[in-house]
Amino acid sequence: MVKTRYRWIVLFLTPPLLIYLFFVVFPLLSSFYYSFTDWNGFAVDYNQIGFANFEKLFRDPLFGKALTNTVLWTVAAIVIPTGIGLTLALALHGRNFIGNLYKSLFYLPISLALAVIGQIWLWIYQPDWGLINTFVRAIGHPEWSTAWLAKPQYALLGVIIAWAWQQIALSMVIFLAGLTAIPQELIEAAEIDGANYWQRVRHVIIPLLAPASVVVIALAVINSLKSFDVLYVMTKGGPFHSSDNLAMFMYNESFQKYNMGYGSAIAVVLFMITLAVIVVYFRQSANAEHLYD
Amino acid sequence: MSIKKLLLVLALLLVGVTVVAAQQEVSIVHYYSSDLGSATMAKLFDGFTAANPDMKVVDNSAGHEDFKTQILVTIAGNNPPDLFSYWAGARTQFIVEADRLMPLTDFWSDNDLDSIIPAGVKPASIYNGDVYNIPMNVHIVGFFYNPKVMAAAGVTSMPTTWDEFLAACEAIKASGVAPIALGSMNRWPAQYWLDYTVSRTAGPEFRQQLMAGEVAYNSPEVATALEAWKQLVDAGYFVADANAYDWTDAADQVANGEAAMTLMGTWITGYWDGNGLKPIDDYDFFPFPAINPDVPMVVHGSVDGWAVPASAANPDGAKALIMHMLSPDAQATWAVGQGALAAVSNVDPSIYSPVMKKAADYLGSVAFLSGYDLSTTPPMADAGLNMFAQFMNDPSGYMAYLDEVEVVAVDVFKK
Repeated sequence: MVKTRYRWIVLFLTPPLLIYLFFVVFPLLSSFYYSFTDWNGFAVDYNQIGFANFEKLFRDPLFGKALTNTVLWTVAAIVIPTGIGLTLALALHGRNFIGNLYKSLFYLPISLALAVIGQIWLWIYQPDWGLINTFVRAIGHPEWSTAWLAKPQYALLGVIIAWAWQQIALSMVIFLAGLTAIPQELIEAAEIDGANYWQRVRHVIIPLLAPASVVVIALAVINSLKSFDVLYVMTKGGPFHSSDNLAMFMYNESFQKYNMGYGSAIAVVLFMITLAVIVVYFRQSANAEHLYD
Repeated sequence: MSIKKLLLVLALLLVGVTVVAAQQEVSIVHYYSSDLGSATMAKLFDGFTAANPDMKVVDNSAGHEDFKTQILVTIAGNNPPDLFSYWAGARTQFIVEADRLMPLTDFWSDNDLDSIIPAGVKPASIYNGDVYNIPMNVHIVGFFYNPKVMAAAGVTSMPTTWDEFLAACEAIKASGVAPIALGSMNRWPAQYWLDYTVSRTAGPEFRQQLMAGEVAYNSPEVATALEAWKQLVDAGYFVADANAYDWTDAADQVANGEAAMTLMGTWITGYWDGNGLKPIDDYDFFPFPAINPDVPMVVHGSVDGWAVPASAANPDGAKALIMHMLSPDAQATWAVGQGALAAVSNVDPSIYSPVMKKAADYLGSVAFLSGYDLSTTPPMADAGLNMFAQFMNDPSGYMAYLDEVEVVAVDVFKK
């Protein structure tokens, strides 16, 4: 009996495991392998060059820029979607008609592909007839208008805002789900004890939202690390690499400059950073689960 | 089933296979993925099959951007088409260096291609001493302008010297229109400014040395070229925020009369014709003026050609298809359909619009050099293109930009 069950388990697990090994584990290990070579992604021959690619990373100003931008994006990912998503969730929590309408409206960006979001924001930032410049001209401040995505000081921020627009919607939904999971009697007890709204939010609701917060922050950070599509559509890392993140930098090196070995080294660094975040995430979410015990 | 029946079935199958094999397949991948481009290409394939009933063209083309990866992956995976379109220059060189292309030197001489392909275009076919890319069409880069805007500014004859060019820009600016449109959002449209300022001041030989990493980016010659370009930016002759626009935006600015001219390839005529503009009435052409009168004039542009992978299954079919593409009729159909200049000299010149005729005549009168990103290695081109966008954002730091690019050049060319 046990043996038969075991056989079924093996039978059902083998195909997905094989697919996973072939499409995820094998390419991952290949990246590690190629990061120690000077392969151009195309030629038959390449050389083993040890840690030269990794040493080059530390000398490459483009890597420094891409790493800084990735960190900035991650910090923004922790602050913006969490803060605004939580505010929206608190404001819209409840079951009245208007609340549900706004929930749906704020949720809409989730249904769009990031490439589409990039295109929409490209139009919003367009210098001649874009929404922002049209607006600042309409309120009598044409001097505030600029070519937003063509200026190195604004380009990255512009892309992060577009990206966050969708991420906020995701965070809001997770926080809303978290809010429904909070036992109502705890809030009522606090109310009877004389806690005002802010005290209830600060001392009861936010601590009890810890599991949702861990999910929101982890998703935002992981999404920020792998964000590529919205950046590709909006600036391609430009102007002159000012909005590059690690994913864009890796793409440019691997597929535009044909430095596949170097690109693999960047992929390895990006993988390590993401892995660190995921490890922290699993530890935190394990801790958060004890909350309701 | 009896043995007899089985043999009969086998024999029938064999006949079937022979019949199918009698019509050879020639597989092709190309990047002419626009509606017009793929329709014109299909017309050429039909002509080929009509002339060669035993051959059939199998077109496996993807979109233009997908093409760049698709072709490298199929070649690297030893599953290449028999024939593919490719940009002559550094991109072809890259595949040649990896030993993945079939030399076509004998094909060139056996078919006496010297007699139909102009000597000025031939260098675009030769890599490491052998022919690897057979030209299909040529595009040249020069100033495309709005004649009405020029006339309104009192510019009646087009400038041929730098002083005349500056005077024309000043007159256009005084008439309230931006003299020069540039859409460098995708970086490459700015490259022709470096191409021409370098080859018109330091000369074509220096320019080729720069592309090959034999001279430094922060040399006085390149600085002089950038100073000529900077002079125009500082004088306010460019439409503001070039990096916010694509080349088609710049083309629209010229067409709408918001700007007078743009430095662009002959493909702009295809774009304008598609928007209903009329050559001569709505747009016209003049070559980049001389800056240093002592250096020989050259024209920059790009050559699109055909390459045959080293592991092609049907190289003979590929070669037959190339010869069909080079026939005067096919070349005329292609040049007109694509808004390009034919790669062969024996097409009837009356196929060209008066504007394309001027471009064809100019191509025939001076030496041809590929544009920047097709002339230098991809990592170098990335650094250079980056600098051009940086320059258009703020030209004042040009010497520092050149120093930065030279750091990359030293690494790329292992000086």
